[in-house]
Amino acid sequence: MSTEIKQSKSLLHNALLRIVSEKISLAALIIVGIYFLVAILTGAGLLASDWGKEIGASYMAPSSISYFGTDIFGRSVLLKTLKATETAVVIGLVVSVIAIVIGTTLGMIAGYFGGFIDEIIVWFYTTFSSIPNIMLLVAIAFILGKGTTTIFLSLGLTSWVGLCRIVRAEVMKHKEREYIHAANAIGASHLRKLWSHLLPNISHLLIINFTQTFDSAIKAEVVLSFLGLGVVGRPSWGTMIDDSKLELARGVWWQLAAATLAMFLIVLAFNILGDALRDALDPKLKGK
Amino acid sequence: MNLYAYIFRRLLYVIPVLLGVCLIIFVLFNLVAPDPAYTLLGKHATLKQIAELHHELGMDKPYFMQYLDTVKTAFTFDFGYSWSSKQNIWEMIKTGAGPSLAITGPLFVFSNIIAISLALLVAFYRGKLIDKFVLILSIAGMSIPSLAVVLFGQYFFAYKLGWFEISGYEFGFPNFIPYVILPIILYIVISFGADTRFYRTVILDEAYQDYVRTARSKGLSELKVMFKHVLKNSMIPILTNIIIQIPSLILGLLFAESFFSIPGLGAMTINAINNSDFPVIKAMTIMSAVGFILFGVLTDVLYTVVDPRMKLN
Amino acid sequence: MAEKVLEVKDLVVEFRTDRGAVKAVNGVNFDVFKGKTVGIVGESGSGKSVTALAIMGLIPNPPGRIANGQILFEGKSLVNMSASEMRKIRGNKIAMIFQEPMTSLNPVFTIGNQIEEVIELHQPHLSRSLRTAKAVDMLRLVGIPSPDKRINEYPHQLSGGMRQRVMIAIALSCEPDVLIADEPTTALDVTIQAQILELMKKLQKELGMGIILITHDLGVVAETCDTVAVMYCGQIVESADVNTLFNHPAHPYTKGLMDSIPSFDSTSGSKKERLQTIEGMVPSLFDLPNGCNFQDRCSKVTDACRGSQGDPILKPSKGEGHYVACFNPLN
Repeated sequence: MSTEIKQSKSLLHNALLRIVSEKISLAALIIVGIYFLVAILTGAGLLASDWGKEIGASYMAPSSISYFGTDIFGRSVLLKTLKATETAVVIGLVVSVIAIVIGTTLGMIAGYFGGFIDEIIVWFYTTFSSIPNIMLLVAIAFILGKGTTTIFLSLGLTSWVGLCRIVRAEVMKHKEREYIHAANAIGASHLRKLWSHLLPNISHLLIINFTQTFDSAIKAEVVLSFLGLGVVGRPSWGTMIDDSKLELARGVWWQLAAATLAMFLIVLAFNILGDALRDALDPKLKGK
Repeated sequence: MNLYAYIFRRLLYVIPVLLGVCLIIFVLFNLVAPDPAYTLLGKHATLKQIAELHHELGMDKPYFMQYLDTVKTAFTFDFGYSWSSKQNIWEMIKTGAGPSLAITGPLFVFSNIIAISLALLVAFYRGKLIDKFVLILSIAGMSIPSLAVVLFGQYFFAYKLGWFEISGYEFGFPNFIPYVILPIILYIVISFGADTRFYRTVILDEAYQDYVRTARSKGLSELKVMFKHVLKNSMIPILTNIIIQIPSLILGLLFAESFFSIPGLGAMTINAINNSDFPVIKAMTIMSAVGFILFGVLTDVLYTVVDPRMKLN
Repeated sequence: MAEKVLEVKDLVVEFRTDRGAVKAVNGVNFDVFKGKTVGIVGESGSGKSVTALAIMGLIPNPPGRIANGQILFEGKSLVNMSASEMRKIRGNKIAMIFQEPMTSLNPVFTIGNQIEEVIELHQPHLSRSLRTAKAVDMLRLVGIPSPDKRINEYPHQLSGGMRQRVMIAIALSCEPDVLIADEPTTALDVTIQAQILELMKKLQKELGMGIILITHDLGVVAETCDTVAVMYCGQIVESADVNTLFNHPAHPYTKGLMDSIPSFDSTSGSKKERLQTIEGMVPSLFDLPNGCNFQDRCSKVTDACRGSQGDPILKPSKGEGHYVACFNPLN
């Protein structure tokens, strides 16, 4: 039992070592780190707290006053982009947590108990995944109406099925291994077996899944903004990109450029990091 | 057990899933959604008017009957009338399907051909420079927000350079062609990254199998190894990925259709959202789910044709 | 003396890794003769399979490459051969069967298709019907019942033993001069193992090919091989004909391997012998010690073994054709 857990810990350790030792994945890790730092600083009010302030005329082109120009209200696009980083990171984190909690809980219960419970859960997620993601997202967001909760819930509720499937399959595999039999023999409770024996051994799946969900949540926020169901009262990359649909014809490209670039970098970094983690944590995919 | 019996059994399994889909839709639209009276009748509606409206929409029925109504529409496609345009929704869908398919059809064909050929190419030269180049390009492609691609593409290629129509649509072949070229190109750019990477992974998964070593040990050329042995084995996940795209073709493209003023189903959905047109959104959700489920069955049936290991049970 | 068909000379195979280059095979020499079987014995990671892949020209490059040495087939160098020339030899003159019968056949083609494929490639003059007839003959040859029906079946419809027979049929269908068998029976049940080895011996007599049998199982070696090379950390540490090796092992490692086979020999059964094991672990190819690679596991270790006289090289020992790389050989 403990060897399996140790193995998963050293796997994670090795994964980190590998990521740090490769230039590209190290760069990706640093980029992600910078974004999180920016998010924390803006969240604490130490950075871009005056993003709402008018700093000049409407639609000022990029210059030494404001490196990314101003928006329609004369606000600095740079500060908006920084503040939007916080929005994106919060959305990415909350959505991932919702998706991981639902996906892992249902997947583990299905895989562990099997039988009728398993059939019900499989039916449930088959049903859920039978509605094309974009329609389900639209429907949920539309019905819940504008607001941050809507964004969290609609994205979270449409992101858990993939993880649930993988976790279920993995738990089914682990259930038959010796260390679980050993836990049975010493009379461990179901909860204990699930929490302290099985969970550590599937944790690598959660980490890999986190990078994917984080990424797709940030990208989906743009879709919601476009549908008019996006973030209100604070800047987000999605609303910035959406706003620029009226600006481009006037030659105002900087808001689109700033938000796109900001989003591109972190999504790219998470993509690379996700790949590196998968290579390092999932030995059967190694060397691809 | 023959193929027909298998198809029949597989269709039987569809029923609980379809009932479940209807349950989700019922919960969303009939239980969670706000009362439509406000949207339809305005702020000053009388209680009597509201009661009449509820009766008209079947909302005064017991929940179970309302659920059955939802199930019924999934089989009859009788979606009722749009709240904003008062048109029959099924007629709206039939009209909108043409323009949507005029974009998504060619897009589906070209994007898959491009992605599969690229994936085969890089799998063939795996680890070499071109493989790394395409991989980087795919990951970069996946990381650009699609809305930005559509916005920038329309602005630059249609508005600035004037190479394509900025927006609009004409019904009938070949009149629609000039209007759909740019959206198709932009969506190929949007989708090629994820597709290529997926197909590359699928093909490489096979390229390291033991039977590939056997094929090489026979003295087969690398081309023959790739195109005969590896490709046939990768066909199963590739086919699944392709077929499962088909039902969503009918959904159209949300961004492109509204930006390029193409009167397809994507634009219809966007309008419905802007007008709080519940029945249209409900109809699109049900229709896409039914399509998705039926094509899922089709995929499973094709498995049994492609993969001799699949036993019909 | 039988005709020499294959000669491996000073073969070095190198792999580039994150932690630098490693020599998976380091200076290996042996010959293969018509109608004779060479056994290559060693633990996993000793370089046996890499040697086989090198002969087949199937070392994945990158990361691997043949860094030095020659492989001569009927006097021609396989190392310097172009890829297309090599393809004419592979599967035709030199064929290989692998350890994993369950996964070595392509699951989506019939076994007939997979046998005919190699015949079509190397004997293109045969018509389609002759090819099929030949495939059926091959299946019959390797002892598959009702071959004309089996030919249309898929690998998953056959048992592991049957699949390995199909692999042998594929390998032998162009009547190769050399057959490389990489742990051909390891994945099979013991009774099936014996059948497959028996089959290989029988076919060798009929077709007169030289066999390279790679295995970690000395029992298999004793039954089937004429000469044996024992590999350790990419090098041959001892080679001899099979009787000499079993009766007078000279390298402590060879002795250790033999002592770790359970013996049911009644003549030695008066005192109950404990099964011997070799202490310690195979050193990592990344940091091989100076001197003998086996020094840390050897009971006869001396200063010479620790590098004071360089690395041990293969030198003649007692008896005809017996070579050993050891500073303190046994007997």
